[in-house]
Amino acid sequence: MNTEARAHRGTIALEDACVLSQQRFDGNQFILRVRAPRCAQRATPGSFAHLTCDTSIPMRRPLSIMRADADDGSVEFLYKPVGHGLAQLATREADDIVSVLGPIGHGFDPDPKRPMILAVAGGVGIPPVYFLAETLRDDARFALLVLLGSEVPFPFPTTVRDESITGLPPSASHAIVDLERWHVPSALASNAGLEGCYPGHVPDLARAWLSKQSGDVLERVQIVSCGPEAMLRATAALAHEFDVPAALAVEEFMACGVGGCAGCIVPIHTPDGIAMKRVCVDGPVFDARELYPA
Amino acid sequence: MNDPLATTFCGLNFSSPVVLLSGCVGFGEEYTRVEGFSNADAGAVVLKGTYLEARPGNPPHRVWESPSGMLNAIGLQNPGAATVIRDILPRLDFDETRFFANVCGSTIEEYAAVTARFDDSPIDAMEINISCPNVDHGGVEFGNDPGVSAKVVAACRKATSKPIIAKLSPNQTDIATNARACIEAGADALAVINTVMGMAIDITTRRPVLGNNRGGLSGPAIRPIALLKVHQVYQEAGPLGIPIIGQGGICSAHDAIEFLLAGASAIGLGTALFYDPLVVTKVNAGIRDYLREHGTESVGDLIGTVELR
Ligand SMILES: Cc1cc2nc3c(=O)[nH]c(=O)nc-3n(C[C@H](O)[C@H](O)[C@H](O)COP(=O)(O)OP(=O)(O)OC[C@H]3O[C@@H](n4cnc5c(N)ncnc54)[C@H](O)[C@@H]3O)c2cc1C
Ligand SMILES: Cc1cc2nc3c(=O)[nH]c(=O)nc-3n(C[C@H](O)[C@H](O)[C@H](O)COP(=O)(O)O)c2cc1C
Ligand code: FES
Repeated sequence: MNTEARAHRGTIALEDACVLSQQRFDGNQFILRVRAPRCAQRATPGSFAHLTCDTSIPMRRPLSIMRADADDGSVEFLYKPVGHGLAQLATREADDIVSVLGPIGHGFDPDPKRPMILAVAGGVGIPPVYFLAETLRDDARFALLVLLGSEVPFPFPTTVRDESITGLPPSASHAIVDLERWHVPSALASNAGLEGCYPGHVPDLARAWLSKQSGDVLERVQIVSCGPEAMLRATAALAHEFDVPAALAVEEFMACGVGGCAGCIVPIHTPDGIAMKRVCVDGPVFDARELYPA
Repeated sequence: MNDPLATTFCGLNFSSPVVLLSGCVGFGEEYTRVEGFSNADAGAVVLKGTYLEARPGNPPHRVWESPSGMLNAIGLQNPGAATVIRDILPRLDFDETRFFANVCGSTIEEYAAVTARFDDSPIDAMEINISCPNVDHGGVEFGNDPGVSAKVVAACRKATSKPIIAKLSPNQTDIATNARACIEAGADALAVINTVMGMAIDITTRRPVLGNNRGGLSGPAIRPIALLKVHQVYQEAGPLGIPIIGQGGICSAHDAIEFLLAGASAIGLGTALFYDPLVVTKVNAGIRDYLREHGTESVGDLIGTVELR
């Protein structure tokens, strides 16, 4: 067996992670911070971890990694329970142990030839984009514009943005405080009447910005996106319309999370026809042209 | 002193009675992504079900959690036997463990053709999958009829001199009769059991959750069913010296030992890996402890030793 054939070996860690904190936010949202140093060391934006929520629920739940601090070994997740698994996870308190399998998957890998990244995320699709913004904040090769949507209050402090962003409606006046601190401009959308948010969907904000850019700028733009399927489809449609590449992080039900069961497939359009790709290890990030062709 | 876990199965040396089950570990290298996991800890690894030609498998959703288990409807997605042999087998480390193919077909001829392909490959043995509940032709449709099961096994027998293992379905009235038919047709071993057919409905959309409407139930939910089937099949196979890979919901050394006592010579781990990717070493350690505590020299001494009332 040659080295290339072994490159994947040992890339995912299984850790009994100690809960550092569990914060609850309006709209049944939670931010869980755990100590999982091996996962923290290797996590990249768009990668995820497969967590055991409770010993009585052995099937794991996949959650995107929102922050990973290689220095203190912490990993952070933002989630919204849908059913009994994540609802149990939400009852974990500091010092409890949670089994964390991660990091898993190919995350975002922005192309330096397109230095302007338009990040579009909604709801629990925010974590990978948040992680990307934090990772690239000091990377001179890239500039980011982050557009976030939510139907419940954002689980982060927001503030009035200092500068306006060309093309965006004045109603989108607020930005995320952390992102401002990292000098990453952001704008928000919500149909829930949240203060400082554009009243509509986040792809509408993206369209407003894209349509104000010149052809020269568009040639330097790439989109990254994560969120509900309807949002991803709308974002893919924008990417096709404005002829910019888009990388989309998708979700599918999972069993193993490591490529073993072929349970988490998504149909991908390739030149040779449809290929069933595994979201866990072939994704979770796929090219919009292959996922939702024009 | 010999390793108490070491055993032979159809003449093949196993480092442990643990077998990693088809469809749960992809084509053999997937779980090695997990730090601390090694195929060398398993006696054998069974690759994903393989047809002559590539198959895309079923549309999503393919997996769904159920009480004490899960449903799957993968639909035997595979790249076809030629690709498995050309592109995948060379990437496997046959020094670490034994690799078994899982042979599928829509016709008896296809089963035989796939077997013939793997006969001419480094594969150590072949499991004949006459028990998949997730495909329209072949699979459980063949496996529920002892006559057809025997024909499939006989056709595969002609195509190889490597060990063949008939994988039996629990979705039939009399599994022991089927086991006998497969043994008479030339099976060297039996795998008992494949998944139990099941279904789940999304009451909001009023549609089945799984893309294929129905699926196969695995995990602890089926363990008592599997244990009894192994015991029933052992009544036929044991006296003939035909070994059984017992499987269905085994998650711990305790569960594994139950299956050995019921008559299994090796035990399979599938769904348990999804719960704990490092379960194999724990099961090995637990069996070792049990043997030591009971003064038993080797795993072989446990097989079929349940004392019925
Ligand atoms: C790569 C990836 C990253 C994700 N990141 C996040 C995140 O950062 N925050 C967040 O809140 N959610 C995220 N999700 C979705 C999250 O995994 C599901 O909402 C969660 O599994 C539902 O579990 P439950 O116990 O709340 O619901 P239940 O109804 O109890 O779930 C039942 C079963 O369905 C599966 N399931 C249901 N919905 C989904 C879904 N959308 N995706 C995958 N499996 C599902 C569950 O895993 C479980 O096996 C992500 C999903 C994937 C695939
Ligand atoms: C996701 C999944 C895929 C499977 N694919 C196959 C397959 O390709 N061929 C086969 O013979 N059995 C397949 N099986 C059945 C398993 O090999 C095993 O017989 C069954 O799951 C019972 O064991 P368990 O409860 O330990 O998982 C599959 C099971 C699961 C859960
Ligand atoms: S969840 Fe098993 S292959 Fe992705």
